[in-house]
Amino acid sequence: MRAISARQRATAVASAAALILGTVLVSGVSPASAATTPKTGGILTFLEHEPRLDHLDPSRIYTGRDLAFMNSFHTRTLVAYNPVPGNAGANIVPDLATNTGIPSNEAKTWKFTLRPGTKFEDGVAITCEHVQYGVSRVFATDVITGGPAYLQAWLDIPKDKDGNSIYTGPYKNTPAGVKAFKKAVACSSDNRTITFNLNKSVADFNYLGTYGVISPVQAKKDKGDKYDLNPQATGPYKIAENSKTQLKLVRNKYWSKASDPVRTPYPDEVVIQFGLDEEVIDQIILEDTLPTAMNFGGPLPSNKEKFFSDPSLAKRRMNNSDPYAIYLAFNVKAMPCKEVREAMYYARDAKALLDYAGGPKFAGSYATGVISPLVADDYAPTKVVGPGSPDFMPEGNVAKAKALLETAKTKCPADYKKATEEGITFDVRQSATLNDTIPINEAAYARVGIKVKWNIISSGYYSTIMDPAKQKDISASGWGADWANASTVIPELFASFGGFNLSQNSDDPNYKKFEDKVNLAMKTTDRKKQAAMWKQLDAEAMRNFWVLPTTFGKAQEVWGSQLANVFFWVPQGNPAYGKIWINN
Amino acid sequence: MTQLLSIEDLHVSFPTEDGIVKAVDGVSLTVNSGETVAIVGESGSGKTVTSLSVMGLHKKGSVIIDGSIKINDGGTIKDVVSLNPSEVRDIRGRAVAMIFQDPMSSLHPYYKIGNQLAEAFEVHNPGNKKAAKARAIEMLDLVGISEPAQRAEEFPHQFSGGMRQRVMIAMALMNSPRLLIADEPTTALDVTVQAQILSLLDKLKKEFDMGVLLITHDLGVVAQVADRVSVMYAGQLVEEAPVDDLFYTPKAPYTLGLLKSVPRISANNERLKAIPGQPPSLIHLPQGCAFSARCEYRNLSPVDCAVTPVSLHTDSAGHSSRCHIPIEVRNPVFAKDLQELKS
Amino acid sequence: MLAYIGRRMVFALATILVVSAVVFMIFAILPFDPAALTCGQRCNEQIIEANRIRLGLDKPLYEQYFLFISGIFLGRTYGSGSAAFSCPAPSFGYSFNENACVTDMITEALPITINLAVGALILWLTVGIGLGIVAAKFKNRWPDTGSSVFVLLGTSLPTFVTGLALLIWVTIKWKIIPLSLTGYTSLIDNPYKYFQYFILPWITLAIAYAALYTRFTRAALLETLGEDYIRTARAKGVGEQKVFFKHTLRAVLAPLITMASLDFAGLIGGAIITETIFNLPGLGRLTLRSVYEFDLSVVLATTILAATVVIVMNLIVDMLYAVLDPRVRLK
Repeated sequence: MRAISARQRATAVASAAALILGTVLVSGVSPASAATTPKTGGILTFLEHEPRLDHLDPSRIYTGRDLAFMNSFHTRTLVAYNPVPGNAGANIVPDLATNTGIPSNEAKTWKFTLRPGTKFEDGVAITCEHVQYGVSRVFATDVITGGPAYLQAWLDIPKDKDGNSIYTGPYKNTPAGVKAFKKAVACSSDNRTITFNLNKSVADFNYLGTYGVISPVQAKKDKGDKYDLNPQATGPYKIAENSKTQLKLVRNKYWSKASDPVRTPYPDEVVIQFGLDEEVIDQIILEDTLPTAMNFGGPLPSNKEKFFSDPSLAKRRMNNSDPYAIYLAFNVKAMPCKEVREAMYYARDAKALLDYAGGPKFAGSYATGVISPLVADDYAPTKVVGPGSPDFMPEGNVAKAKALLETAKTKCPADYKKATEEGITFDVRQSATLNDTIPINEAAYARVGIKVKWNIISSGYYSTIMDPAKQKDISASGWGADWANASTVIPELFASFGGFNLSQNSDDPNYKKFEDKVNLAMKTTDRKKQAAMWKQLDAEAMRNFWVLPTTFGKAQEVWGSQLANVFFWVPQGNPAYGKIWINN
Repeated sequence: MTQLLSIEDLHVSFPTEDGIVKAVDGVSLTVNSGETVAIVGESGSGKTVTSLSVMGLHKKGSVIIDGSIKINDGGTIKDVVSLNPSEVRDIRGRAVAMIFQDPMSSLHPYYKIGNQLAEAFEVHNPGNKKAAKARAIEMLDLVGISEPAQRAEEFPHQFSGGMRQRVMIAMALMNSPRLLIADEPTTALDVTVQAQILSLLDKLKKEFDMGVLLITHDLGVVAQVADRVSVMYAGQLVEEAPVDDLFYTPKAPYTLGLLKSVPRISANNERLKAIPGQPPSLIHLPQGCAFSARCEYRNLSPVDCAVTPVSLHTDSAGHSSRCHIPIEVRNPVFAKDLQELKS
Repeated sequence: MLAYIGRRMVFALATILVVSAVVFMIFAILPFDPAALTCGQRCNEQIIEANRIRLGLDKPLYEQYFLFISGIFLGRTYGSGSAAFSCPAPSFGYSFNENACVTDMITEALPITINLAVGALILWLTVGIGLGIVAAKFKNRWPDTGSSVFVLLGTSLPTFVTGLALLIWVTIKWKIIPLSLTGYTSLIDNPYKYFQYFILPWITLAIAYAALYTRFTRAALLETLGEDYIRTARAKGVGEQKVFFKHTLRAVLAPLITMASLDFAGLIGGAIITETIFNLPGLGRLTLRSVYEFDLSVVLATTILAATVVIVMNLIVDMLYAVLDPRVRLK
């Protein structure tokens, strides 16, 4: 799962999974209406502040909420998360495929057999060729932007001298590229079985099958960029209107229940209303003006207390852990002294900042690492930072921080001087809360004699902090797993080959042995052994203080009185939208 | 000779936040047909307020009017003070018309000259558009505007100041009123144009057998056209006399002061003898003579001018004046001062 | 007259060219890289470079500008290979955020803004001038006091407060006007839905403007009532009603119409706040979104459109004024 985007407010996270452990993280799950019989009909309406969804094109969607939405109604994938309440929801089940993928060759080869009877919204039967074409699109990196990049990294296609794949997608290509691609993604002669050949062992490759990057697309319907406006439906609903005002989904007559073990479509129509004022959305839900509506972005922080203290709204709200671990990433190149980084951790007033954000009730809990508790298999408190660690104090451990700085004074005087005289510079996103949080931070660090400065970025936050030439000393970010495996967390954040290497930690003397362990964990197909390794690596990363973990987040959902069977879908970190029906 | 206007003991006051402004305080005067009566005074002396009262143009509610203003409307005597608004409106522009000081701003900038004239006629002769138009052109011709039919289609900004005053006069005469009030009709005009307008007014007065009430501060204009003169100071008449009597034997110190302050070309280049001081506040008028504070002759008075009320005395020749100084003391002193002025 | 209009048109074209060039320059100077902005979080130099080519930002600035201008007359093709597509002339570019030709986006948004502006204009002129007349006519009496309270509220309450309050109370809480989520319906297709859709936005905009117009009308009427030519009209024996409604109102009309025309032009440029609160996908919201997302081609197009409207409205105002005020002649 991607980092928290600029426009995501609270929810919007994808597929962090909590597999086996029964950790109760999901509070307020209220399948109160589960006892009643599902009803069909009605218009299910989502009220959204943003002017549109980032993407509809299955190859480009990467936001948890949008994935949960589109995969519930519109887009079928090879495999899918089971849309049921509780931890069972994180199990993957066959969707377009008849199985959840069969690995061979040390999980370097994966085979999926397609289910018969599946069709596009125009009646064309889905074949392997369509999936193959869908996969090919992500290689056109200049057109198909936004989606996860695992396929480019993992498919066994030769790279040129710059490290780019020699296959450049279906729009413009070379015979050599096409040949290499068709070898990596092959269809059987009966066009029913698709085989993926990978360049390394990926034990959990099938989880990528829950993403639209592996989904069927008809070449003749593909308009490149414009496919994003009206992608072909394979699920029970198709797009009837996609305008500035709304995205309207109506029933797809070529979808059949017999061919789809996952989806149970209830409403006649599903609509997202775009561009509504956030206060207006909250008032509509509070007043129940539109009883069939759900707030798609979650309530405004200022309205949360209202929603969650009124007992009459008890059946119209949920408050969940979201799959994000929020952290501050040090630019280790700019701050090589571990003692100074560690001192900053202990100087920080975590309590004041969490309370400002909404407290444990709405904002979340103190983080113990970067692996969220929702990735239940791989989560364990690191006992290095956060609750459970010996020196952790919510309001900051001033004595410990001072002691660390004292060590730094002799051990790395340059860094000490920078922290106490020149000042440490934070990259921060321009926001309404900045005026309040800056003084909290300045006061906290001043307690131990650390000076902090602020580089306020009004636009292009990620392109700044992702650029080693532009990033300053420390920046805030958040990360959630792409699926229920820390293989989508630890390598992504800390490995030099990861996609989100903010901390620039590869020059750290401790990095090399860390990376070796990461590579080993990625190869380990024994899930229990692998989980133990991720837990150790999470703790090891914390011991190196490459990042400063702050919060495991929470998110809230509110909806109208006629919606029934709203429950939290653990792996998607959002309600299972496709299971909602309308009572009247 | 018909009496056209008879003002008797007119009091006009305006209530303001600071107190009651007594703008006109017991003024009486008459205007007969064929006669030009001038009201002379400084700004704020009440002359314009008096003329507006005759037209009934004061804003209702903002003013307290007492006394009577009788107008001869074709034989019927009507008292403007006691008429209701629609009756006053009926007289306005028909029995009595008025022309104003500033011809530049007195015409509506957005309407054609001909229409503005015609409106004056139509108001009193409803439904007679054609006749109104013809009358407008006729009147423009009469006041000396060449190609009147064509110029009637033009707008005020296409006329010069003198021409606009001619238009105003034409407008005033649309309904052949018997009484014409001319409030400083030449003040805003060039000297050469002034004379033309004054002679035009005089000519028309005869043609229409009108009485003219001329409001002015310019004694030169008075000397040219007036038959009788009323001098006002601080809302009161201080002197009233036939024009020659006033100029040759002024009886009020204020009138003498005015005469002295007229610039003239003479052998000895004396400086202008302006009346010292400022007119009194109309809210806090002295109990006695309003002019006393500025009067250079007050020492000749047997009483304290500032506190003893003084009334208007009319002599056997019909020459009225308001002054505490006995007439026999005044006459020689004033004659001497006047003589000095002429030498 | 024709020569005058011709000269003004040439001037207008030149202005629009300068405006578009300036907007281009501003975007070039700003320390933001649209290519980096569109590439999300998993960014690297190669993806940014590919984006730059896709967005046409790899070319020198003057060439980008030339392509933009030539697109207006010749249309423009984007992308390459089988993913290529084109926007026919007049093309104001392509929005990669919206995946649409800018010209289509504008033609979609424009009717909404025009309907919003026209309805609001009618409403505020009626209310504003009406109240101004009442206030002037009953100066210092209760209707005047009442209207001054309205003026005070209307001028001091920001649009987002009145708009939000109207929407929340009238629609959401009291449900007097049903919540309208279905989008724009034309007056001809469904008058009921049309009014339901626009009535609150009209009122929101009209309150702010009507207050200004009430104040202006009242002041202008009272000032005119003190003019010499009004006294002249009264001296002619013209009745009070006619003095007020003909002579006085006529003089106030010309400045009122000027004011209304320019305010109307401003609104066509975008009633950003009102459109945002009421979720009207008009030009204002389009502009706001495109600035927010650094969608250069849309910003350019909306800026040019706004400039054009203002310039054209100015020309119309000048000609109207010449009709309304005989003292003005066009040279």
